[in-house]
This record gives sequence, C-alpha cells and structure tokens, in this order.
Amino acid sequence: MRDTLVIGAGLAGLMGTLALAEAGLRPLLLAKGNGATHWAGGTIDLWGAGDDPLAGIVAKIAQQPHHPYARVGESGIRAAADRLLALTRAARYPYVGTVSRNVLLPSALGAVRPAALFPATMAAGDMRAGGELLIAGFHELRDFFPPLAAANLRAQGIDARGVYLDVPTAFRRRDYSTRTFAELFDRPAFRAAIGAQLRTQRGTATRIGMPAVLGLYDPLAVVADLQTAAGALVFEIPTLPPSVPGIRLVRIFERAIVAAGGRVQIGSEVVRAEHDTTRITAAYTEAAAREQRHAGARWLLATGGVVGGGINSDHTGAFWETAFNLPLAGPDTRDGWFAARALASSGHPIFTAGVATNDALVPLDGLGRVAYTNVRVAGGALAGADTIREGSRTGVSLATGWAAGLRLAALED
Amino acid sequence: MQTLTTDVLVIGGGATGAGVLRDLALRGIRAVLVEKGDLTHGTTGRYHGLLHSGARYAVKDPQSATECAHENQILRHIMPHCLEDTGGLFVVTPADDPAYADRFVAACHRTEVPVTEIPVAQVLTREPLLNPRISRAFAVHDAAADSFLATRANAADARARGATVLTYHHVTAIEVQGDRVVGATCEDLRSGARVRIHATFTINAAGAWAGKIAALADLRVTVVPGKGTMIAMNHRIVNTVINRCKLPHDGDIIVPIRTVAVLGTTDIAVPDPDVFGITPAEVDLILEEGEHLIPGVSRMRALRAWAGVRPLYKDNDTSDDRDIPRTYKLLDHATRDGVDGMISIVGGKWTTYRLMAQEAVDQVAARLGNHTPCRTHTEILPPGDAWNRSATVSVAGGLQSLGDRLAAVEREDTYGDLICECELVTRAQLVRAVREAGARNIDDLRRETRLGMGPCQGGFCTYRAAALWHETGGDAAVAGALFRHFIQERWKGLTATTWGDQLRQMRLDELITIETLGVDRLPRSLLETGDRDPQIVTDHPAIATEYL
Repeated sequence: MRDTLVIGAGLAGLMGTLALAEAGLRPLLLAKGNGATHWAGGTIDLWGAGDDPLAGIVAKIAQQPHHPYARVGESGIRAAADRLLALTRAARYPYVGTVSRNVLLPSALGAVRPAALFPATMAAGDMRAGGELLIAGFHELRDFFPPLAAANLRAQGIDARGVYLDVPTAFRRRDYSTRTFAELFDRPAFRAAIGAQLRTQRGTATRIGMPAVLGLYDPLAVVADLQTAAGALVFEIPTLPPSVPGIRLVRIFERAIVAAGGRVQIGSEVVRAEHDTTRITAAYTEAAAREQRHAGARWLLATGGVVGGGINSDHTGAFWETAFNLPLAGPDTRDGWFAARALASSGHPIFTAGVATNDALVPLDGLGRVAYTNVRVAGGALAGADTIREGSRTGVSLATGWAAGLRLAALED
Repeated sequence: MQTLTTDVLVIGGGATGAGVLRDLALRGIRAVLVEKGDLTHGTTGRYHGLLHSGARYAVKDPQSATECAHENQILRHIMPHCLEDTGGLFVVTPADDPAYADRFVAACHRTEVPVTEIPVAQVLTREPLLNPRISRAFAVHDAAADSFLATRANAADARARGATVLTYHHVTAIEVQGDRVVGATCEDLRSGARVRIHATFTINAAGAWAGKIAALADLRVTVVPGKGTMIAMNHRIVNTVINRCKLPHDGDIIVPIRTVAVLGTTDIAVPDPDVFGITPAEVDLILEEGEHLIPGVSRMRALRAWAGVRPLYKDNDTSDDRDIPRTYKLLDHATRDGVDGMISIVGGKWTTYRLMAQEAVDQVAARLGNHTPCRTHTEILPPGDAWNRSATVSVAGGLQSLGDRLAAVEREDTYGDLICECELVTRAQLVRAVREAGARNIDDLRRETRLGMGPCQGGFCTYRAAALWHETGGDAAVAGALFRHFIQERWKGLTATTWGDQLRQMRLDELITIETLGVDRLPRSLLETGDRDPQIVTDHPAIATEYL
C-alpha cells in the first residue's frame, strides 16, 4: 500500500505532490494526462482586480468565507509562492514577482493583463515600463500575431510595432507549432539567425516581445543570446496552446518530485474508488483495457474542475466528481448553467461548481459532514469561485495544492 | 441618394432569391438582388442540409413529394459539387406504427418517389450505430446539401452574367405608384446610406420575412414562421440520412453533413422570424426522439443547437403548422390584390428552390416580353472561384465527399497554414474570403469557409481569424469587436447543448480567450465605439436574431 496518492497532474497536484515528497512521504501521482498547465500562459495569477493581489484576496475572504483562498489564508499563499520561486530559481528558470503587486503584461491579442508571479523571461514585458516596443513573431506560427497585438497596444497608448521574422531556409519544417519553435530556439544557430533579424528590425525599440517559445531547456540563455544580438531587452508573451512555459514548469516539478522520492504516472485515469465509512481505501485506474487497483492511506484530490476533467456532466443537468464521486455544489438545473452573454463579467454559474470542503480542505458530504477524513481537495475541483473570471485560477491551484499537501503530510496514520 | 434602375428587383438572398437571380441572368434580364444580411443569413443557412428524395412527404403532401423527387434529379445534375450522395433510409423503429410502412411505400410509388426495401441486416452493416431493433428499412435518394455553397454559386454565376448582388441592404420601403410597385428603398447597413432601386418588376423572395416585405406595400401575405431546432453532433454518427418511417414529427431525422451529423427538428410557430430562442427542453426532446434511431445518442457529444424559421404560407385554416403544405405558392399581387409589378413566392423548401425560381421568372419574363426559355435545369452551376474549388470539389466531377478538404490540404501541403484545424480551413482561404468574397466579419467568414463550426467552436481560430482580418486591412479596434461578436454568435447556439466534453471545451475556450488573451480586458472604447461601425453590421437591429 502506498502512503500517499495524488490524483491530477495540474499545478495543484504537482505542488501537493512536491510538498508530500519533501515531507518524507512517497507520493504517487496518478493522472489521465497533463493538466491545464499545458493550456495556460504560465503566469501565476493570484487576483485579477487591482494593483495588490494579496489585498484583493484578503478583502474577498472577508466577504466570502467559503472561497478557496479562505482555506489557506494569507500565510498559505505566501508560503506557496515562496516555494515556487525557490523551486524555479534552483532549476534556472526563475519565476519573479511578488504576491502583493500585479505586473501588467501584454497578451498575444494586445490586451494588458495582470500577473503576480511569472517567468523571468516575461519580466521585460511590464507595460508600466516606458520605451518603444517591437512585437516580433513568425508567419509560420499561427498562435501569435504581432501586428494585431501591436495595434491594440498602440490603441492603449503604448508605443508598439509588429513585425514578422523569417524562418531561415535551413530550419524550415512542414508544419509548425509552439513546440516546434521552442525546439528550434534550443539550437544556437537558429537563435543567432533570429537575433540578427531582430537587430535589423529593432529600430528605436528598447524592448522586444516574442511568442513564449524561446526554448524548452534553457530559456534564460535563449533570451540572453537574443538580447545581446538585438541590443534590446527581449521578453516572452503567452501564445495559444500548447503552452511552452507550461511544459517547462511541469518538467521542473517532475524532476523535483522524483528527486524528493515521489513518482508521477501519467496515462492512468482514476475511474472509481473504494472506501469504508470514513476513509478512501483504494482507487482504480483504467489504462490498456484493464483496471489497476491502488491502495493508499492518504489521498490528495487535484483532478481539476470542468476544464481539468475533475467534473463531468450530462444533458440531464447532472454533474459529478469523476474520481471519488463526491457530492458537488452547483446549479440545480441545466437552465441555470449559463449567462446569456458569453463574456458576462459575472461568469457562468456552472463554472463555480465544485467539491465543498471545510477549512482543512477535507471534503464534505451533501449534509455538510466530513466525507472522508484521509482526503484533501485542492485546485480547480474546489467549489465556490469562477477562478477564470477572478483572475485567480493558477493562484488558487498553487496555494491550495501546497497547503493540501502539507496538511496531508501532517496527518496521523 | 444613390439610385439604381433595373428590370427586376429580387428581395431575399437565400436559396430562392439567388436561384431567381441566376434564372433571370440566364434569360438576359437585368436584375438586382438585395439581402439584409449576408447571403444565406436567413433560413437557407440554418437548416439541416437535406436534399429531399420526396419520401418524407409522400403520404401527407403528395405534390411536394413529386416536386422534390423531380428536383432531386435535376440538382444532382447541375450542382454535384454542392451535394454529398449519402443516400437516405426510412427505418421502422419499435416506437413506430408498423402499419405505416406499407402506406409509405404505396404513397412513394404513387408520387414517383424511388424507394427500395432492403434487408435490416444489410442496413445494420452499413450503419452500425442504428437501433438493432428496427423492423424494416427503405432506401431513398436523400442526400446532404451544402446550402451555403450552392447559394453562393448561384449568386456568383448570376453576377458573372451581369446581375448585381447587394448584401447588408435592408428594404425599408416598397415604392408604389398608383396601383403599381415600382421598386424599393434600401438602407446600406454598413454605411447607413440609402439606395433607391427602380424596377419594372419586384420579386419578393424573402422567405419567412415575405410577410414583412409585403406589408411594406400594404399587402397581406400570411407567413407563419415555423421554428425548427436542430442539433449538430460532433462527428458523423451516421453516413446515411436516417429518417423515422412515420408521419413527419419532431426529431425524426439525422443528416450527416460535412464533419457533423445533424439531429432535427422541431416545429414551433413563432410570431416573429427575428425573435426566437432555443430551450434545453427542446434539445432534450430531440435527443429523446433520437434515441429511437441511435441508442445512446444523448450521451454523445453535441456541438451546438440552432434554429431556422420555415417560410410556411397559410392560405387556409389548418390546425397544426406541420399540416401546412410544404409546397410553394406564387402570389401574383395583380390578380390577387390589384397591385401590379410585384409577385411574392412563399412556402417551399430548399430542394425545390430552382423550380420555385423557374415559375417565378416564367411569370415575370412573360410580362416583360422576354420569351427565352428557362435553362437552370440543364445549365451546370459553375463550381465557383478556383480557391474554393480546390477545397470542395472531388475528382472527375462526381459528388463531393468528406475527404475532399483533407485531400486538398495534403495535395497543396498546407498543414502549416491551417487556421481552423477542426474544419480544415487554411490561411489562404480566409484571406481570399476577406479580399475576394468580401466577408465583413468573422461570422461571414464562417459561412464562407466553415471556420469555427467544429468541436472547439472558435476557441482557437477566432483569435487567428481576427488577426488575419486585421492583417488584410481591417482596423484593429474592429478586429477586437469582431472577436467578441463571434464568440457571442457561437454562444447563442451552445447554451442549450453544452454538457460533458463540450462543456469542458467551453471552459478551455474561456481559459484561452479570457485568461490568456484577455479579450475582455481590451478597453471598452476599442470594443464599442458608440457610432455605428461599418464592419460590425451583424449587430444591426435589422438583422440581429434575438434569442430569448
């Protein structure tokens, strides 16, 4: 029997697994596939409104005591952020920023969006800094369009220009994705060729924004080489998925987890579980047309919400938690799932559905009693917030994942 | 005010209007077509895409059945590139009256609709997801039709022969002098400019909106807009058109078309063709009925629901809208109402659009003293622009097939240029749709290319399309507004059908558009300029369908 099992390989599951392994346990992470990390931009968004995210969260907690952030508090958020900064620094892919200040970074559309923690490769994109911007991309990359981003930035008073660079003949491919470009940028000859083009195109620009594809393995070196060649600061802007920053971050987590004694097993979807009156005792994964039983003493449920796959639903208006079949809080009928406008700032009620927990992140049954004493819940599976509308999705996963891992590690057997 | 003078003014840019325009052009009659939205903006662009064999109407509406059977053969001849020869089946499920089948076959024979009974075992081999408990099956000549492409091809051929097509031109007044209609005044919804069109003759081909047009000339034409709701499933759960063998009813058909299969339909009278909604209950009803044909269909992934309004003409009292004959009527307002210079063509269905056009033009041509015979039943419809042809027409002039787009992408090695991966739309197709076909917004691009109609419903391609629209000369502020507009257009069809994997997709789309791209963080002034924007005409009250 395993001492600990974690279900879900998104940011919450990875943070939780790391906490458990570093506490001396031997966690096994089971997941159907990679998490939302591979879809999202790679920044840690704590709170989207206002300049000081932590202050925004504290105000939110006071107003809504069942918010996921309320389960971890200010100290829990700080602790998780500190661990992420240290982890990425040690891996030579440092995240920067603080929990108490939102930096405004440009999007691939040219909108300006807040982030608290972000890879150092994005730091020079701070829109509060002055100077002329060059946004540079590739016709071949259909997930990033410099002219539109630059035009929208200009409309917001930011001096920006969009240009396309050429892929040198020797590096041409039949098809391109963000990942193809990341692999190309890992090659010094490619970045030398691109650096030379940037220098020619730079004009009077002091900062150059590029799609977040600047290498899989050593993006700091790629940025440094491009900066030297171009004579300007270079920064990354998140693209459409797949997310190269997400791929980098997951790789760092996996290494750290293995080094600390844990294990990550992708391709193992948890389809059901066994329990006694107070505890989950085992879970079954489905792969290669057979079920496999995993017995465990402690469980971290980090399967995500609707997008992560932790919540499924059908046309009758039913929705359910996919691994442990825990009861979910959410709208009663399908008529109440959506707002009339897609971009309604209130969001859509179905996306606040999730597992109700107590302050210790222990799941509750339909009557508000503890469902299983040996389970903690983290990340998108938690009820009570539309984290995309709040600009808190990654922040909630980071903080609750870390806290849930620590609490589970402290659990007496 | 700009003034145009022509022989015939055609009102309505659906299948009928475009068919009328081409027929006029082939007979050498000068004509102008006006449409308040894009071509196929109305019912033509919102139906399930069935080329009727006629069998659906054999028992209840024999005249329609015979017309359909005849036109079916003609359309297969003149527009093979717009049709996919799926064939059709009528199947008797355990829920259907077994006695109906013999009546059905007899009626098909009476109405000259080809029908052949085939063994159930053979049917189940061909369509393995079909209910194994069906007791009888009949093969008919149903097919899937690309009504977007066919309508555009009709309009393009008419244009090539000298006709004028004015889209986004909303008729605000019909001009009557004495007892004669002499033309109309339109508003160009893009510029707000007014255009006056003098015409010797006016043909009202506005479909479900024909009553509204007639009313502008103080004429009473009672069109009952019959709302039909359909659901697109995310893959071709069948490759043959499947019909329930029973009297026409809700949820009795599945049409495989392009990359999807469409479950249809309901029939609910609505007071206004511009105001209707789709409820989860309607969707549940269609799924419930669909279970009789394909057990388990309600657990499959639905992409979206939409509704079109049938142009049913009510000239006598019928109890149920489904009982209104599906055949068409030509209303000569000279003999009917004492107002010369205008006819209205009402009722009918896509399959008989050409015949409707022929009869309308026969009548008008005779009055204009033009005796050139109709040629639309023999003259092949040109497949359209070369850039579109490569993606839609199969080899050797046969009917189109599903793999054609993929074959074109492989032949031209344009994998790297796929802007919409779901529907295999390339960068070149989009750029040409903006430059050459004059698409005014992303929803126009969708009708032109099928962009955004696949499983992700625009989650990935809306950003790309907005950016390409900007790069072909569009204003960036407008590109942002078009982005948001297209998300909302897609959303209208999603709220009633989104659960399971599709709900997950919608949340991923939110992650991309809101979290990563920040489309809602573009300053409001960029999204809504206050003044009317010439590019965002689909939000104009004259053409925006209000979903309740």
